[in-house]
Amino acid sequence: MTLLRTEGLAKHFGGVAAVDDLALAVEEGEILGLIGPNGSGKTTALNMLSGFLVPDRGSVWFADENVTGKKPVALARRGLLRMFQTTRVFVRISAFDNLLTAGLARGLDEAEARERARVLLEELTLTPVMYLDAGQLSGGQRKLLEFGMCFIAPPRLALLDEPFAAVHPVMRETMARFIRRRNEEGHTFLVVSHDMPIVVELCDRAACMNAGRLIAIGATRDVLQDPVVIEAYLGSESHV
Amino acid sequence: MSDARNLWSHRLAVDFRAALVVVAVLAAAPIVVTSPYTLGILIVSMYFALLAMGWNLLAGFAGQFSLAPAAFAMLGAYVPGLLDYHWHVSLAVGIPAGIVGTAIVGWLLGRVVLRLRGPYLALTTLSFAEIARVVISNSYDFTRGAQGLNVPTLMQSRVGYYYLFVAVVLVVLAGLFFVMRSAIGRFWLAIRDDETGAESRGIDVVRYKTLAFALSCAICGLAGALYGTFSQLVSPELGLLLQTGIVIAMVVIGGIGTLTGPLVGALLVYLASEWMRGLGNVQMIVFSALVIIFARFFREGLWGLVARRRVRALPRAAAGAR
Amino acid sequence: MLVVDLFVNGLIVGLFYALMAVGLAMIFGVLKIVNFAHGEFYMIGAYTYVLVALKLGVSPWAALPLAAIAGALVGWLVERSLMRPLYAGYGSWSIMKDEYAVVVTFGLSLFLINLVDKVVGPYPYRGPALVETSRFAIGPVMLNGQKLIAAGVSAALLIGLALFIKRSLWGRQIQAVAQNRLGASLAGIDATRTTSLIFAISGLLAALSGALLAPVINPSPDVGGFPAVKSYVIVVLGGMGSVWGAMIASLLLGVLESFFAVYVSYDYRDAFGLLILMLVLIFRPQGLLGEKVREL
Ligand SMILES: Nc1ncnc2c1ncn2[C@@H]1O[C@H](COP(=O)(O)OP(=O)(O)O)[C@@H](O)[C@H]1O
Ligand SMILES: [Mg+2]
Repeated sequence: MTLLRTEGLAKHFGGVAAVDDLALAVEEGEILGLIGPNGSGKTTALNMLSGFLVPDRGSVWFADENVTGKKPVALARRGLLRMFQTTRVFVRISAFDNLLTAGLARGLDEAEARERARVLLEELTLTPVMYLDAGQLSGGQRKLLEFGMCFIAPPRLALLDEPFAAVHPVMRETMARFIRRRNEEGHTFLVVSHDMPIVVELCDRAACMNAGRLIAIGATRDVLQDPVVIEAYLGSESHV
Repeated sequence: MSDARNLWSHRLAVDFRAALVVVAVLAAAPIVVTSPYTLGILIVSMYFALLAMGWNLLAGFAGQFSLAPAAFAMLGAYVPGLLDYHWHVSLAVGIPAGIVGTAIVGWLLGRVVLRLRGPYLALTTLSFAEIARVVISNSYDFTRGAQGLNVPTLMQSRVGYYYLFVAVVLVVLAGLFFVMRSAIGRFWLAIRDDETGAESRGIDVVRYKTLAFALSCAICGLAGALYGTFSQLVSPELGLLLQTGIVIAMVVIGGIGTLTGPLVGALLVYLASEWMRGLGNVQMIVFSALVIIFARFFREGLWGLVARRRVRALPRAAAGAR
Repeated sequence: MLVVDLFVNGLIVGLFYALMAVGLAMIFGVLKIVNFAHGEFYMIGAYTYVLVALKLGVSPWAALPLAAIAGALVGWLVERSLMRPLYAGYGSWSIMKDEYAVVVTFGLSLFLINLVDKVVGPYPYRGPALVETSRFAIGPVMLNGQKLIAAGVSAALLIGLALFIKRSLWGRQIQAVAQNRLGASLAGIDATRTTSLIFAISGLLAALSGALLAPVINPSPDVGGFPAVKSYVIVVLGGMGSVWGAMIASLLLGVLESFFAVYVSYDYRDAFGLLILMLVLIFRPQGLLGEKVREL
């Protein structure tokens, strides 16, 4: 079943078409990788999927419901959660309180949230730092904490924006393991990433964007070997 | 603070107990303090404590730096005053009307400034405060303008007023404690730390921000309404930006984002300023300098310094016992 | 011909507003903060001018640059001592930067007002005029000499500032830092020093407008409150941080207020500006003249 679907999604910033006529579908139970050179519109697309940006044109469908223009809160309530490229944790309260807050926000009662928070901290190897203010955590630890906040009440679809960027390899492995395990339990992911080895290893399918458009979608290996995709990455390289 | 004592529930519980001790001291004070003048000073300092707690709810807990607390106190004071002056409505109706009225205005202001952050929010609330004050000052026919308005009093007894204020401080404090312990309080902290993040986690930012505005303004309105009946005169001076500055000073010096901080800060600052009045009126120089110094170097304020010390001292004591 | 009179006088007032507001806009441009002590730069300028001229018996024309220097010095000191935490990565997660700026500048404002109140006294001083003239009329327009000279100096200063920002090396560095602090640092511009410079310029301009108006306003310690509020309105109207926007908005506000005071309500003329400020921030936060920037 198609869990999330977009039709003709578009967003312009001034003269720049950040996302242009994007048609994307995420199937229930899969891990879909979204790749593309810097500035190709991945984050903008995610912002529209999660309600942080209102599309100029086009529509977003989540579980057969038109959710275009719905607020992030409304989407979160339906089980569509996102993580940001730069972590957004609550820096002046402890890591444990971060998880608790996220649990309460998703409608858990406090005892339940506490229990799940402890389990998640253990799984994410954050137990030793659970009493530190989230602002004192390293970048990688914050990302792990965000995973925990996202999964304290499991979402139907998790949108991850560059979760592996600038993270210590050990933690990257912890994250990949976390995603894989949740996926085996039936959770669906849309992962934006630059890290090709992880994309190959993790994702069933991949989609590639360039200059706001979808240029390839299909089995991960096929997409990565697609000449159009290689061209897009090389083209962007020569600009740098 | 890298152990369980850094958990919010624990920090809040310790904080609340300390605040209760302060209230207990206030409640016991009339045993030694009997001069009506000194009691009056303590009453005014409790008025400021209420404003400080109200503003701290909005700024320290929910992260919305409003510059309008004094304006809301002024509005809260004028409602019973005007109701009595024009329609002879009794204070039993007037004071609750003041609280509800300021809560509604606060809620509306909260709705309106929803998308504004930081300096934008500060400027908008400042404008609101100044407009409210200018309108009240200039609407002579309705409000008697800068001359002020006489307000009836609740009782003649100064000790009675004193205990009324102690009781109200206690109620507001307990209310804050329970709210901050609940999900609402945690959502406010989340919004304070990262509004976008809070939204993405499923927190209804619109709802909780407007709630913070309404409650904070209601507390300020309550303080103003009571103070007006105590001083029996309300004037637009209650809403001066200077008054807001004093409230901010109290919270920053006492410890923003805590329960004890605003309470202690208000009492200390007001009592000390009464004392310094005798030393050549230097109080505002001292306090504004202290605000800058605290904001720059001791961001947790007095209560933060004490709380941190306490937590640090404990393990050492335990180690010594071994 | 009241209309012409109101228009010309509005423009003159607008020039003073501009001199005052441009510095605030520049600070907002680089640090994205509102300096709530900006009015006190103005007050310091007014007092320096009056006291130097009266107590030291210096010619008002020599007191003017001294006031400018005092303002620049205070601005520079404020940046050095209080603004550094905003961009030095100082305890970066525990500081709420916007809030820190509000508290510190608000505190500074109270501090300076009360300090001057204590040291110099609460009573207004009458400043010596640059030239002694009475009111006169050009056609339908009533003018007075001091105002006219002050307006002329303001206009010259504003043009000078515009040229400085556009043409000089320092001016271009200011532009670069305002546009992208990190980028400018990477390009080898000393962003910290540039910010000091901006605070010095901001203090200088505000102090000069205080000094120029000292003979008209009779400075008292809280004299800065009124022009400060005008500057907030202007900075908001002009698009939060845009120097050119602030200049245009100043003239606009000057003229609008002058008409409002006569045709609508004199008592509420100050509330009028604040109402504009609120409405603009609520409905068009990027300002009337600014471009929309959104961050996520
Ligand atoms: N808020 C914004 N304002 C203006 N332009 C933006 C904004 N967000 C993104 N863009 C532009 O849209 C394009 C796509 O950006 P983005 O979605 O962040 O790309 P990616 O995440 O793939 O690196 C870029 O050219 C970027 O400069
Ligand atoms: Mg991106």
